[in-house]
Amino acid sequence: MGEPWEAELLSRFQLATFLEAVRLYDEGIASAEDIDIAMRAGAGLPIGPILWGDQTGLDVILNQLNVLSETVGNQFTPPKSLVDNVARGQLGVKSGRGYLAHLVPAQG
Amino acid sequence: MYIKKVAVIGAGTMGADICYSIATAGIPVVLRDVSEDVLTRARQHIQELFDGRVARNKMSAADALDRMSFIVFSSNLDDMKDVTVAIEAVTEKMKVKQAVFRELDQILAPMALIVSNTSALSITELAQATRRPERVAGMHFFYPAHMMKLVEVIAGEKTSDETLYTVMRLAEEIRKIPVKVKECPGFVVNRVLMASMAEVLRFKEERGIDAATIDQVVTKNKIAPMGPFMLADALGLDVAYEVAQTLYQTLGERFKPSDELKQLVLQGHLGVKTGQGFYSYR
Repeated sequence: MGEPWEAELLSRFQLATFLEAVRLYDEGIASAEDIDIAMRAGAGLPIGPILWGDQTGLDVILNQLNVLSETVGNQFTPPKSLVDNVARGQLGVKSGRGYLAHLVPAQG
Repeated sequence: MYIKKVAVIGAGTMGADICYSIATAGIPVVLRDVSEDVLTRARQHIQELFDGRVARNKMSAADALDRMSFIVFSSNLDDMKDVTVAIEAVTEKMKVKQAVFRELDQILAPMALIVSNTSALSITELAQATRRPERVAGMHFFYPAHMMKLVEVIAGEKTSDETLYTVMRLAEEIRKIPVKVKECPGFVVNRVLMASMAEVLRFKEERGIDAATIDQVVTKNKIAPMGPFMLADALGLDVAYEVAQTLYQTLGERFKPSDELKQLVLQGHLGVKTGQGFYSYR
């Protein structure tokens, strides 16, 4: 990683992408799987934003959002579904379930 | 419903690319436009796409000739009479699209579907221009439509399940990936892209870092195939600004377009098409 601002840019870009994907899911506009397919096939993202969140860890993301919503702005306020998932221990890939189900344990 | 023949209305780049995808799958297709000049250019564009595939050994010359023969370039309404699905791809204005829908509703068979390639307008409102709202849906392709796999399939309030099924199937038959989306501003892809773009624009304003440097960091870290500023320039800054305004008004502050974007649009710097946007192309 280069300059310190680079990390902040990447974090804000990826979290903004993830948050909007979660809002679409919460509003019932499309399924979590379909949102990921759409962002890969329609915008060329290397990984679907919802799977990105599940891989990063929803608890990790919640912590980052709590900081950014204080320092940057309320566009980073954690969505209720995220808070609920973390409270239930549904943290993503590492716990077997997040926004998506990860029934096969991760290798290694 | 069995898809016997398709029509694409509006022979701009988007319409021509959609037509190419349909013909490539071996489905008869009428590409309609009111302008003979536009049709001539579309024919050249599609021919170049086929020639490119032949040159890259992806298709034989004989197959290219065969697929090209599935297309009828036409300014004549009669040529569309027997189509199963009509895909509207004219300019992104409600009045213009509704006029096309009204005309199609009058000439097509009662069973035929009318779908729109709109990226922003309400399918429910478009359907109101017809007597067959249950047979109207959104079929949103992505630019360039001959390469991008995604098709967002959008149901209006009255769209029937059978219509959605047929549109999904058409998308699959032309080797696309259909995703069902409920009607909302920006649908899925543009809404997510605009949210991240607005965030990066805010970051740029706060830090005073130039567009090219930001784009490089985004692409270097492989979090997106193209930097947000290059993407905005390609899309057209006027289009990006208009979509951002719509999303800002309906969904909130997080979509608010930055002052810099507004200034560029006011100065007529609209991106690639005018030679100047966040980047200079002169």
